Amino acid sequence: MNAIIALSALAILTMFFGVIQKKSVLLPLILSGLIIVFFLNVIEWGTFKHYYNEMFIADNFNIAFTAALILTTFLVFIFSALYYRTVKRPLEDIYALMLFSLIGGITMASFGNITMLFIGIETLSISFYILAGSKKFDVASNEAALKYFLTGTFATGFLLFGMALIYGVSGSFNLQAINSYIIANKESIPTLFYAGMILVFVGMAFKIAAVPFHFWAPDVYTGSPTLITAFMSTIGKVASIAAFYRLISITFLNVHDFSVDILMLFAIATIIVGNLSAMTQDNMKRMLAYSGISNSGYLLFAIIAMGPKSAGTLLYFSISYAIATITAFAVIMLVREERGTFSLQDYKGLAKQNPVEAFAMAVAMMSLAGIPPLAGFMAKYNIFSVAMNGGYVWLVIVGVIGSMISVFYYFKPIIYMYFHRADAHKKIETTKAYKIHILLVSILLIILGFLPGLVIGLL
Amino acid sequence: MDKNFIPEDYIPILVQSVVAFGFVAVTMLATHFITSKRKRIRTLHKDENFECGIEIKGNARFPFSIRYFLIAILFVLFDVEIIFFYPWAINFSEMEWMGFFEMLLFMFFLLFGFYYIYKKGAFDWKHDE
Amino acid sequence: MPDAVQNLQMIPLNDYIFFCSALFAIGIIGVLIKRNALVIFMSVELMLNSANLLLAAFSAYRNDPAGQIFVFFIMVVAAAEVAIGLALLVMIYRSTHSIDINALNKLKW
Repeated sequence: MNAIIALSALAILTMFFGVIQKKSVLLPLILSGLIIVFFLNVIEWGTFKHYYNEMFIADNFNIAFTAALILTTFLVFIFSALYYRTVKRPLEDIYALMLFSLIGGITMASFGNITMLFIGIETLSISFYILAGSKKFDVASNEAALKYFLTGTFATGFLLFGMALIYGVSGSFNLQAINSYIIANKESIPTLFYAGMILVFVGMAFKIAAVPFHFWAPDVYTGSPTLITAFMSTIGKVASIAAFYRLISITFLNVHDFSVDILMLFAIATIIVGNLSAMTQDNMKRMLAYSGISNSGYLLFAIIAMGPKSAGTLLYFSISYAIATITAFAVIMLVREERGTFSLQDYKGLAKQNPVEAFAMAVAMMSLAGIPPLAGFMAKYNIFSVAMNGGYVWLVIVGVIGSMISVFYYFKPIIYMYFHRADAHKKIETTKAYKIHILLVSILLIILGFLPGLVIGLL
Repeated sequence: MDKNFIPEDYIPILVQSVVAFGFVAVTMLATHFITSKRKRIRTLHKDENFECGIEIKGNARFPFSIRYFLIAILFVLFDVEIIFFYPWAINFSEMEWMGFFEMLLFMFFLLFGFYYIYKKGAFDWKHDE
Repeated sequence: MPDAVQNLQMIPLNDYIFFCSALFAIGIIGVLIKRNALVIFMSVELMLNSANLLLAAFSAYRNDPAGQIFVFFIMVVAAAEVAIGLALLVMIYRSTHSIDINALNKLKW
């Protein structure tokens, strides 16, 4: 709760300083504000509280995911200075919208009532619609925003109708109350309730971009400004998956047999389609979009298995995915600014000219592919072992095959950077601060790989 | 509400609708037949205002300034927020001062939004891009 | 004064469910087959409003105000979506001079 209040104040302050044209204070204000919010959030650790008639439940799960979301936003804001360095205006609207979507994400990780889930999702999504179109005079950005908007509101319709049906049958929006309804009427739940559940799952699958509801993701991620893509693909995914986990672990746990069938279908289709589509991409952004899709398939494993370590593994996987994705996008935006496209060809010989950036990119790609000492490997290993303990052997086999396919496309940029000779490209000039930041982020990824037990043990 | 309605109760409504539609149909047909053929032709002169009213200019579907659109959208946004006052007003006495201050906070957010769009020049009619 | 809730309850609940499902289905079909972004947008609104109606009906039958409050939230969010959606449409119209979604083909589908 502290985090949401403080972040709202921070966002309003950001808008205020932007409107009175104080550009120089904006980023320092936001970055220091985010650090303060992080600590305000962490000091609530271990206290189990609920606010406003259980609308908002502050448990350890919420605090851990809030911390992960704030960390991710912090990393994105670090690179925003580079991305917007040519823009003269204060940009407070974009920053404030990013903070608002962070608030939406935190709400999604902490709701105790379906109303709050809806408000959280909409706060997140509406901010994203605008952010996706924030490059006003770029046709691709406009198109991405409209596509995202149309598919996003479509998904919201499904979600709402499902919520209405669930409310109609169980008589409450409170997660615990719905759960006790399910326990009390285990034998005689009407079909309407299951229909509502399917509709809610469809809506959530849209938000996490699970196949067959993934079709918006590649276009939206390609068209949006790169910084926003980095933000959307991390915050959006982590918050949605946290909301999904919370919904199922509190409410639908006693009808889990029914959920598992649908979710398995989603997970298997997501891993196969996501990985196979990513193989053929030449556009780096599009490739990472498909990689994000396939990663939501792995994330679904933890929800399907629903074991004692599920929550911790979900957190660890989310953090490692978010950090690796942001690192990759930070390099992509640099290369794009210098060479003008997102094509893989631009990465030829990057290792000779810009060793630091190439190293960071290689670490990010290897982490996403799941190469042993890195965070991505430990995340995948743990999520597979959670699924294995739940007895879902086939799921794990599909996951392993998918991750073998993914090695192929994640290594493409590494091969281009290290083993191809550069064309006529010049060295990309960067600032020292950027180099330090990107090095720090990739080192964070390596360190995280050595202490998975610490993160997973949290929950 | 223990009254049961039978279909016959709706006869007055039926009669009224028949009269209403019948009047329209009869008048339109009558004017069609009463007026002579020659005068039914539309002339430029006949479309003009007679004695009073504003002169007609152009088509109603001409492209208008984006400013109107902006104002309309902003109006809708602020208008819809008022919806939260209904449940608040009904439960006002139960919530006492806490509810009052919470609503003040809500108003502050709305007003800040208004201040923000004002400062951003949403109501600045002079500078059109 | 007759109670509005009792008036509502005279209609069987199933009728509401069928009616709202029909509206919802019309909305879905509209989104899937129409090519004009504005019409798609209207269909989405129809979907949201069918959910609204269903919530209000359930709320009346259960004598529980929670559903109606949810309707308020949906309305506010829908208004925000309208604002953003129309702004995006204007933006698209400015760059492509059309709101046909077939014009949205710069990005590979």
